[in-house]
Amino acid sequence: MSDRNGRGGESDGAGAANTLTLDGMEVSFEPGETLYEIAERHGKMVPTLCYDERLEPFGGCRLCIVELEGSRNPVASCTHRAEPGMVVRTHTAHLETHRRTLMEMVASENREVDVDPLSGYASQEMATLVDRYDARTGRFAGHRSGVSRPDDDNPFILRDYENCISCYRCVRVCAEQEGDYAISVKNRGFETRITVEFDGLLKDSACTFCGQCIQTCPTGALADLKALANRDIPGETEKTRTICPYCGVGCSVDVMTRGDTIVGVQPAMDGPANEGALCVKGQFAFDFVQHPDRLKTPFVRGDDGELRPATWDEALDRAADGLGNVVRKHGRHAVYGVASGRAPHEAAYMMQRFMRAGLGTHNIDNCSRA
Amino acid sequence: MAGSATNEELLARWRDEPAPLLPLLHAFHDRDGFLSEDALRHVADGLRIPLADLYGTVTFYHHFAREPGGRGESRVCVGPVCRQRGAETLAHALEARGERVARMPCPGRCDEPVPVLRGDLVVTGPDAEHLSNGPTPLPAPPASTAADPRSGGFEECVFRHIRDPGRATLEGYRATGGYAALELALAAGPGDVIDTLDASGLAGRGGAGFPTGRKWRAVAEADGGAKTVVCNADEGEPGCFKDRVLMDHDPFATLEGMTLAAYATGATLGFIYLRYEYPETIGILEDAIADATDAGLLGASILGRDGFDFRIHVRRGAGAYICGEETSLLNSLEGKHPFPRNRPPFPVTHGYLGRPTVVNNVETLCSVPPIVRKGAEWYRGLGLGDHSGTKVISLSGDVRRPGNYEVPLGLPLRTLLHDWAGGPSEGRAVRAVTMAGLSGGFIAGDDLDAVTLDEPSVRSRGSFLGAGGIMVFDDSRDMVDVSHSAMEFFAEESCGKCFPCRIGTQRLTERLNGGGPRDLAEWLDEVTDLEATMKSTSACGLGQAAPLVTESLRRYFPEQIERHLTERRPDE
Amino acid sequence: MSNPLRDMEEPDVYFCIGTNMTEAHPVAATRIKKGLARGARLVVADPRRIRLAEIADLHLQLRVGTDASLLLGIAHVIAREGLVDESFMAERTTGGVDFLEHVREFTPEWAESVTDVPAADIERAALMYGGAERGAIYYTLGITEHVCGVDNVQSLCNLALMTGNVGREGTGINPMRGQNNIQGAGDCGALPTNYPGFQSVLDPANRAKFAAVYGREADLEKGMTKVQALNLAGDRIRAMFIDGENTVVTDPDRQHCEKALGSLDFLVVADIFMTETAELADVVFPASGWAETDGVFTNTERRVQRVRAAVPPPDEARPDWWIINELARRMGFQNFEFESPKEIFNELCELSPLYHGLDWDRIEHGEYQWPVPEAGHPGTPRLHEDEFPNGRGVFKLIRYRDPAETLSDAYPVWLTTGRRLASYHSRTQTGRAKGIDYLLPEETLEVHPDDVAEWGLEDGGWATMASPRGEISIRVQATNRSPRGTVFASFSFADTPVNDLTGGGYDPDTDTAELKVCPVRVTPREGLGRGGTGA
Repeated sequence: MSDRNGRGGESDGAGAANTLTLDGMEVSFEPGETLYEIAERHGKMVPTLCYDERLEPFGGCRLCIVELEGSRNPVASCTHRAEPGMVVRTHTAHLETHRRTLMEMVASENREVDVDPLSGYASQEMATLVDRYDARTGRFAGHRSGVSRPDDDNPFILRDYENCISCYRCVRVCAEQEGDYAISVKNRGFETRITVEFDGLLKDSACTFCGQCIQTCPTGALADLKALANRDIPGETEKTRTICPYCGVGCSVDVMTRGDTIVGVQPAMDGPANEGALCVKGQFAFDFVQHPDRLKTPFVRGDDGELRPATWDEALDRAADGLGNVVRKHGRHAVYGVASGRAPHEAAYMMQRFMRAGLGTHNIDNCSRA
Repeated sequence: MAGSATNEELLARWRDEPAPLLPLLHAFHDRDGFLSEDALRHVADGLRIPLADLYGTVTFYHHFAREPGGRGESRVCVGPVCRQRGAETLAHALEARGERVARMPCPGRCDEPVPVLRGDLVVTGPDAEHLSNGPTPLPAPPASTAADPRSGGFEECVFRHIRDPGRATLEGYRATGGYAALELALAAGPGDVIDTLDASGLAGRGGAGFPTGRKWRAVAEADGGAKTVVCNADEGEPGCFKDRVLMDHDPFATLEGMTLAAYATGATLGFIYLRYEYPETIGILEDAIADATDAGLLGASILGRDGFDFRIHVRRGAGAYICGEETSLLNSLEGKHPFPRNRPPFPVTHGYLGRPTVVNNVETLCSVPPIVRKGAEWYRGLGLGDHSGTKVISLSGDVRRPGNYEVPLGLPLRTLLHDWAGGPSEGRAVRAVTMAGLSGGFIAGDDLDAVTLDEPSVRSRGSFLGAGGIMVFDDSRDMVDVSHSAMEFFAEESCGKCFPCRIGTQRLTERLNGGGPRDLAEWLDEVTDLEATMKSTSACGLGQAAPLVTESLRRYFPEQIERHLTERRPDE
Repeated sequence: MSNPLRDMEEPDVYFCIGTNMTEAHPVAATRIKKGLARGARLVVADPRRIRLAEIADLHLQLRVGTDASLLLGIAHVIAREGLVDESFMAERTTGGVDFLEHVREFTPEWAESVTDVPAADIERAALMYGGAERGAIYYTLGITEHVCGVDNVQSLCNLALMTGNVGREGTGINPMRGQNNIQGAGDCGALPTNYPGFQSVLDPANRAKFAAVYGREADLEKGMTKVQALNLAGDRIRAMFIDGENTVVTDPDRQHCEKALGSLDFLVVADIFMTETAELADVVFPASGWAETDGVFTNTERRVQRVRAAVPPPDEARPDWWIINELARRMGFQNFEFESPKEIFNELCELSPLYHGLDWDRIEHGEYQWPVPEAGHPGTPRLHEDEFPNGRGVFKLIRYRDPAETLSDAYPVWLTTGRRLASYHSRTQTGRAKGIDYLLPEETLEVHPDDVAEWGLEDGGWATMASPRGEISIRVQATNRSPRGTVFASFSFADTPVNDLTGGGYDPDTDTAELKVCPVRVTPREGLGRGGTGA
């Protein structure tokens, strides 16, 4: 709040001076905040292609430029920290013209702008901005800037660099978010190529196939091959927020489905444990759930000693009889329950409840000792 | 390091030195003649740099060969002047002799076209058969004879003693006033040095023109550990070769300037970041550093002053124009990918390893000792009119006497071109000159006679003086072709970090080479939009300056553009 | 974990021991990598040169099973160098005087003689951890899967207590849980000793509380562990009901396991696949899988998070809770009328003091870390900030003990087992995910290149590996990750059943198997391929 309103004294001493003028409105900010963050907070929809809020600001795409009074040129708002008294404009005609030119330029270097949304979490950013700036003009046509790698036979990550705009989000997410430093950039200028050590295949590099690069790529140049394999399944893609089924870190994921089919997984950027990170298992090893090997019916052991399919009624009765007989012959402590460390709470809780409330024994354990 | 040194010996030599990556890569490169996969793995392990990052960074530099024998190639300059002086002919002749030939951008020998870089020697000569290595040419003496059209009695600053015999030795340097400034400074105190520089009006002579006193004061006042002084000797701007002559013939001036900076700011660590293409200069600087250290002028307790410790390390670049941009240079020193950094913060508070750092150009640093010795008033008085001091101009191309000239700021361009340098060859007229090497684009037409050599005058014509490289093109030259080669240079040297520069330099290059719209109006529409967005939104000076080439081409030579479009080959 | 995952970016010094975090908990490891990028330092103690060791400032490459002596040596140096947090010890701990006296005899030189870690490195590690403003310990099964697992954990506690690295941001003693809901299984009372919420079954008040809700008395004595139950199978234990565990493959000593399960009168298994264990059952129930049921997981930092059904289970498959509830009803048990996971979870919250402030709706966004004692409580990201569960932190006097089995002429090589990034447990899941085979087509035995040569093996060739419990065939991979004399394999692949060999001993307190140490013999396999092996 500004001092004009006589309320400046209510905020803490340091904060009182931390105001600037954003598109004519006086706004306050936290020390260290960037102009982009402040503009976002006020819903300014400043465009960007190289920004990922989890990463250090890079300042590459220059779409987030804003006018700063006293500065000869516009400044990149993502890298520019706020200072008291700044006067900032986010959407002047000049800025919008430059942004449109930039979008036309960046559209001119790619084979295609429109990619399947299954490509990755951020894959629609480029096409969305091209449309927002009405940049399908075909101007600035010329050479394309990337060379795709169809020779990389890995089953997870598409490397279609003919759609790469060299925003370095993949390079930076691999270093800053994942800590793998597998992806790097070779050459310079228009010859810039996203690559890995010695230009090799991902599997021969430091890549761990965590999939972070495909999720941050704004053009679908790096894309989720497992999800794209399901692109022909009809229906809208829906997302369900849940937790990864693998280790104990508890990463939040969005399971993507079309109809009753799981078509892919994307990390939840606001997942409290993972903040958008995943590993190869959480990202790509989801399809076991709908594998043909799944048990689809109960089984009971027949007189011939072989397991055979059965109805629920038959299986439940057989199980109840079998356990009941043991209790009758050997007592309730002759039965032992093992709960899963994989199933949800309700399974483990019910298993111990079965043993304690049902049978009256503490013969219950889980698989944590293995 | 001996040619047979083991990987471990090379690592041990450099691992604990400051800024070890570049010298370590050079050590492997020198030993093996290229950078092998094995070498890179060792360097990555030894310096704990991710291998992919190291690989990417190595590919950024022009001169690191990745194939066996690559370092031994003959590298022929195809810069803007040398192109006009038979660079391609020379390259073909060398190829015909069975040499492995590569083409390189301007290596700063425009006064002796066409230079060839072979290993650690630069050779020049009239043709492929007669190439030899020689010393850097000295600047022509001012007003040597009465008949010399050059006159006016302008006093020099940085060239004042450069022609004195023995100036390049410590003895000779001291005999001609060297290190008097440092002694004066020690007597007066660091604040006085900065005050003097402030009063002198000295501003950065590398191109950016930031007031030197203000820069030093900011570093002196900045908090933070070991402060650093970096001498930017990465003279990569095509058409600039002034720093080379200063370092080769007056190396102690650079060292004294750096030492004064260290004294004024409290820095203890110094680097000279030298461009790859000046191989002979490395030895000159390293010998000078050793002599100065032996004489107590570098190292611990300089001139007996307790606590005044300052050491200088020479670091050789590897062929990347952008490393002349100070924040790219710092990233390069630190072993990172040499992209420019986002500013603010600036190097004065967050420089080498995030510490307060002075980064100054060679010429700037060489200007400091005379200023400290003779005073701010003296220096201000060297310029003409309101302009303070002098500027070295590297003049090349279609003039009779190319070379380095130290001019008073404010000197009319035509005086330099015609009176001092003898004008174009017989029967020719000057069609255009570049400014700031290539970065300022062209000045032509009536402006050639009107402009004076100072920033206000040059900038009022949409250009800038910058580092002071001026290339001259006479009326036989195709300015679209010159522009194309200039833009091609920027496209090749664009680091690739920001979109407007990476894409814009490429698109402008294509449009100067037969690409883009065939219709003039459409062509102009695209080119002007590219220029405007590049100038306003590029992250560093490269992308902001590159469009000055097409902008000035459009301004001065519209008919050449029209002809270019008319005569272009039909699209495939 | 005592501290939240986000604390993993805050320490000055990490001490990671017995955790191959970049493979087993990759996303947690990213936080350590962020800490390192910011300038923190990392000490890794591990017999193998794992990725974490490669990025560490100091790698203590100890001999398998000697963790306790390494930690004694470190404690010795911390005490000797005066890096002890005396006020923390005085105010928050007990037994410290005896402990400092106890560690005087365990010099780094002594520790070197046991661990093979150079004494100088032990000193460095002690100075780094002991000198840290914020030192954090991370460990996993490399600490616990030993006969001395409890001793190892206690030794780590001693280090944290003597340096005051507990209860503050960026500190703590942090075990990383291996399975998505293994923490939850314990929280829910799937333990022979505890009711839900880790309430002891030995406490009459707890028995009364649960009897009132469950409508049935249970004994006032603890049950047996699963390990004991398998040992007594066919004897005191006659039937088992196993939910979602492939016991035969994941537990040590497979022959023993198969024999135990085979000797039962009756075995019921609920699972999503026909696992090796399900094959032995009398009745197999098809359970719903991940993304097919609503429920709750609790992660390694005690964060209680909702899981949700995205697709229906296939055909007749049903949620585990439904299966157990139905079976209870068929057996005539009272009070098994649950109709939704929400009802079940809310009953758990009623009964568990750790969850008492939670319910199904409140955990929608996963912001709570237990304990949450009452509604409105913000949860407890960091344990032991003010006091320990029993008041003061207790130092334990630990001595080094040999593993259950040590090297002999017959079994002259250490085998240690663990995880690999691209596979999970017995691969019932990852083995059925397309593309995983590209990264990890088969199990291999990691052998130091010099050992490969000395033992007459061939990189990529086949070896026979034997322990007193059996022998298997396995392909050899020459790698510097393994030190001389120690080999490594995971137990993920059913056709390379490494757990046929393991199981020489168990921690006497926890019954955790010594999966990390197993003397073996490794010899070249005669003939080509794996054919004819007697696994």
